[in-house]
Amino acid sequence: MAMTTTPAPDVPVGLDEAPVVPPKPARRKSLMKRLRRAPVLYLMLLPGLAYFAIFKYAPMYGITIAFQNYLPFLGMGGSPWVGFDHFVRLFSGPDFGRLLSNTLILAFLNIVIAFPAPIIVALMLNELRKQMLKKFIQTAIYIPHFLSWAIVSGLTYLLFALDIGPITVLFNDVFGTRVNFLADPDWFRPLIMAQTLWKGTGWGTIIYLAALAGVDKNLYEAANLDGAGRFQQMRHVTIPAITPTVVIMLILNIGNFLDTGFEQIYMLTNSLNREVADVFDTYVYFMGITNGAYSYSTAIGLFKSVVGLILILGANWLAKRFTQSSLF
Amino acid sequence: MSTRFDTRQDKVFDLVNILVLLGFATLTILPFLYVLAASFATEVEIASRPFFLWPNDPTLETYRYIFSTDTFIRSLLVTIGVTVVGTAVQITMTLLMAYPLADPNLVGRGLIMRLILFAMLFSGGMIPMFLVVKGLGLLDSYWALILPLAINPFNLIVIRTFFQQLPGELREAAEIDGAHEFTTFWRIMLPLSKPVIATFSLFYAVAIWNDFMSPLLYISDSSKWTLQMFVRQVTISTDPSTTIGNLDPNYIPPAEGLKFAVIVIATLPIMCIYPFLQKHFAKGVMIGSVKG
Amino acid sequence: MFSRRTLLAGTALGAGALGLTACGGGSGSGSGEPLTALKIMAPLLSETAPDPEGQLHKAIEEFVGMPLEITWVPNSSYGDRVTVTMASDNIPHIMVQTGKSAEFVQTATAGGYWDLTDILPEYPNLTPENPDVAHGASINGKTYGVFRLRDAMRASVILRKDWLAKVGLDEPVTTTDLEEIARAFTEEDPAGDGSATYGLILPAWGGYGNNGPYDLWETWHGTANVWKDEGGTLSPAFLAPEFIEANTSMKAIIDAGHTNADYATMDAATWNDPFVKGQGGIIADVSSRGKQLLSLFQEADPEGYGDKVTMVGNLKSPDGTLWSLPTPGYAGYLAIPKSSVQTEEQLATVLGVMDKLSSEEGQRLLNNGIEGVNYEVEDGMSVPIESEEGSLVSSDVSAFAQIGTQSNGYLGLSSKPAGEAEAAMEEKRQATADSDLESAVFNPGAAYVSDAYTQNGAILDQIVVDARLKYLAGQLDEAGLQAELQRWTDSGGQQVIDEMNELYQAGA
Repeated sequence: MAMTTTPAPDVPVGLDEAPVVPPKPARRKSLMKRLRRAPVLYLMLLPGLAYFAIFKYAPMYGITIAFQNYLPFLGMGGSPWVGFDHFVRLFSGPDFGRLLSNTLILAFLNIVIAFPAPIIVALMLNELRKQMLKKFIQTAIYIPHFLSWAIVSGLTYLLFALDIGPITVLFNDVFGTRVNFLADPDWFRPLIMAQTLWKGTGWGTIIYLAALAGVDKNLYEAANLDGAGRFQQMRHVTIPAITPTVVIMLILNIGNFLDTGFEQIYMLTNSLNREVADVFDTYVYFMGITNGAYSYSTAIGLFKSVVGLILILGANWLAKRFTQSSLF
Repeated sequence: MSTRFDTRQDKVFDLVNILVLLGFATLTILPFLYVLAASFATEVEIASRPFFLWPNDPTLETYRYIFSTDTFIRSLLVTIGVTVVGTAVQITMTLLMAYPLADPNLVGRGLIMRLILFAMLFSGGMIPMFLVVKGLGLLDSYWALILPLAINPFNLIVIRTFFQQLPGELREAAEIDGAHEFTTFWRIMLPLSKPVIATFSLFYAVAIWNDFMSPLLYISDSSKWTLQMFVRQVTISTDPSTTIGNLDPNYIPPAEGLKFAVIVIATLPIMCIYPFLQKHFAKGVMIGSVKG
Repeated sequence: MFSRRTLLAGTALGAGALGLTACGGGSGSGSGEPLTALKIMAPLLSETAPDPEGQLHKAIEEFVGMPLEITWVPNSSYGDRVTVTMASDNIPHIMVQTGKSAEFVQTATAGGYWDLTDILPEYPNLTPENPDVAHGASINGKTYGVFRLRDAMRASVILRKDWLAKVGLDEPVTTTDLEEIARAFTEEDPAGDGSATYGLILPAWGGYGNNGPYDLWETWHGTANVWKDEGGTLSPAFLAPEFIEANTSMKAIIDAGHTNADYATMDAATWNDPFVKGQGGIIADVSSRGKQLLSLFQEADPEGYGDKVTMVGNLKSPDGTLWSLPTPGYAGYLAIPKSSVQTEEQLATVLGVMDKLSSEEGQRLLNNGIEGVNYEVEDGMSVPIESEEGSLVSSDVSAFAQIGTQSNGYLGLSSKPAGEAEAAMEEKRQATADSDLESAVFNPGAAYVSDAYTQNGAILDQIVVDARLKYLAGQLDEAGLQAELQRWTDSGGQQVIDEMNELYQAGA
């Protein structure tokens, strides 16, 4: 599963990068030979492994809190065990169905809309030729990432305010309506998506621009010489070049599928749109502020992690089957 | 990036492209300009004007107030220091770990990758992490702001992907020339990965800069405060529950303008890093490397 | 897939690392010896943490006769810090708790904090002045910490004074008066320039029973305060018929257009804006907002600002009865963890210090500062001294005030109002607060913590809040509102009622 910069079909690259990957290419070299050159590599791995051991795996025992009624004062040794009680409570609660559907819908919208957006914008930026303009736009679009959700919410309230918000006024004038963006459940998801796109797209382009920067200029030259137009160059050079990056980003982001961004949603939720707004993250917050619901929120987190793991493995398998890139 | 486009179709595309991007850029820059303007405005103006790009009645009062507290200067310096050192440490550790993992011949690679993935998804939570940090004696130390988040598994995996995309021929060529693994890493792979290093250095830097949970949990000495802690202190007043919790019935929460000024000073420095890094995103770094 | 190999490796990694770090956790580092220094953990509400070498810190140490090691924690996530601290083994002797959080309740009842119910009366300055507040602060009748006194009566109605004059109406006394004023403000051009105006400004308000404008309105109509005592039995205030009455009259105000149209979504952080901009003329909120608004007008008009804002206290019901809505009267506690204070002698030391701090001199130190350095006394009130030294001490005061309890009554000095208009407003506020307090409706259920509520309380409350707002917005009719309230009862509310009554009648 060695990954290569997939070249355009008519551009020679040389050497024997086989597009079809043999199941375990690593076994070509003998074990001894591999181990012999390894020492330096393992040395390089050492700090990282130590980090994971100390800061990731050592604290992992904390997950067991999900199976207790944990009280920090009593510690793990002293807190009572409740087994799967929290999970049962989560799944059998009257709100579970609503939470699940709201979360899934938002997650789906995120993958379908918010994930491709930075890629498209990165490609567009890539086509700009005036460097100054490109630099300006790049810097401008990534500013919103630095504003906290509190500020973004405040701005949203300002802009979409009933009757007087600038965007509301514009919308009402154009469509002759009297929309209440902030209270109407039908507008909740579009507003959330608009916020996500506004805040995250610019930042998201950075990684794709980095990938695009690594594309060999010669490939473009060669394609040009072969008479390829702009869009053909994009199809045969640019897009294959960033496909591995896109696939990896997709797989990794799917691990966060059920994460919907607590702060963002909490700030836009009110009594009138709660039906569509409530998601796991806000629910956990509400449970947390009354109950010292440490265990309960850990349980919900564990649930989300397990789902994320299943999704990543699934996505990885799909990626392996249909493209050449995958996580393992 | 395409080289020469003169057809009419291309010119139209260019124009539309520019317009759309500029439109988006305007949308993203305007609110920040408002925040900037409001930070120079008086209370009354903020309460009375919904949206403006230039205050009618500018004042430096809020900034003067912020700069007069020595907490601000100190926390700014602390944060800059921690961010610079921290980013260096974190990106180094990540690169060092990503490179061997990009080698398909590495024994145990699959195992390690799975461990990393698992660690990315599952976490023990705040309390055990606190106990680990405490056990290492890092409480109240700047290292508590750097080490617990030293390697972000997500970043690690993506960097590894980038390393894997560098042509294998380069590595083999170096090996044939008798180069040590580390030399290959240092002399060949790293210079070719400039955009990647720049990107993830930026990611780590921003993460450290914006991190407030770590200082909050691990730092007790107020002279070690980071900028985010200072910022949050100044803006807590907007939470109604704190006004109810206040003793003095005559308590007046701090000015709105203060909130805006604090946003500006907390985000402007880190925002300005990207333009400096952009030169590393220039294309064509691989010219001449794959020939022959 | 995750083979056995992987799982083994992961566990080995974790175990090895754990061994290395020799994690802590568990009981305290304390012993039985007398305390030589007091460790305190408190939330910081000002921008700068006080310098341990600063004047005020030193003065307080001298006053109590003991070194104080204070950890000032930024307020925004104080709860998280408390959590990790309680899980570690480095616990302070005095821990400020900012409220009656479930974690505090559970830890206290599990024996994490000293039960002071029988011990406090031995200390003169720690004996609460207001028994209603003290009872509400207890946990099922037991006192697990010394509560921090706060103003019990802050409810007020703030109006545009100039608008009142223009439409020729007096300050409101009953809720009906308010409805009339709201109408006049909307229809009779109180600004005098034909601009669109309305009466009552309502922001989006989450939570039930937290002194929001709707809670005020309901209590004024006689629903009591969160829980109502009906002949010895507790019943939720929102199940009282007065609840429907109150919201029907509120709905009338809204439907008639006498409030802002975006009451369901207006950001409470911008509550002042319509008032200042001349769009709305009435706000029902805490009295300190009145002073805030006054100062906003002062910025714009240093001469005539005094005529812009006026304030009254609680309003009477339509039939003339005054039910005032108090605040809980306290904000959190100073609790004493058992793991750090292990013997009764140590406890006596700690309580002794707290007792001293609650004396008049102690309260002055914590709430006013050092006389002659950062304030002077004028007419029995404090006036700040403008000096570098003074401002250092003053900023420390805003931090140290968090450690003060004042449960025996506020003995510190109030600050002298700056101008004439402020002085007049303050005087009025004081007078109405005192008289309103006499008809305060305290929450009879405040002391009791029901398990069912701890489990589901927030979600249940949401049902009520949402139902109320939907009714006001016209999405539910009265029958629908009743149905939602019934749903509260059916989805676990009945259990809460039963548990609360069990505790209430066991009576403490």
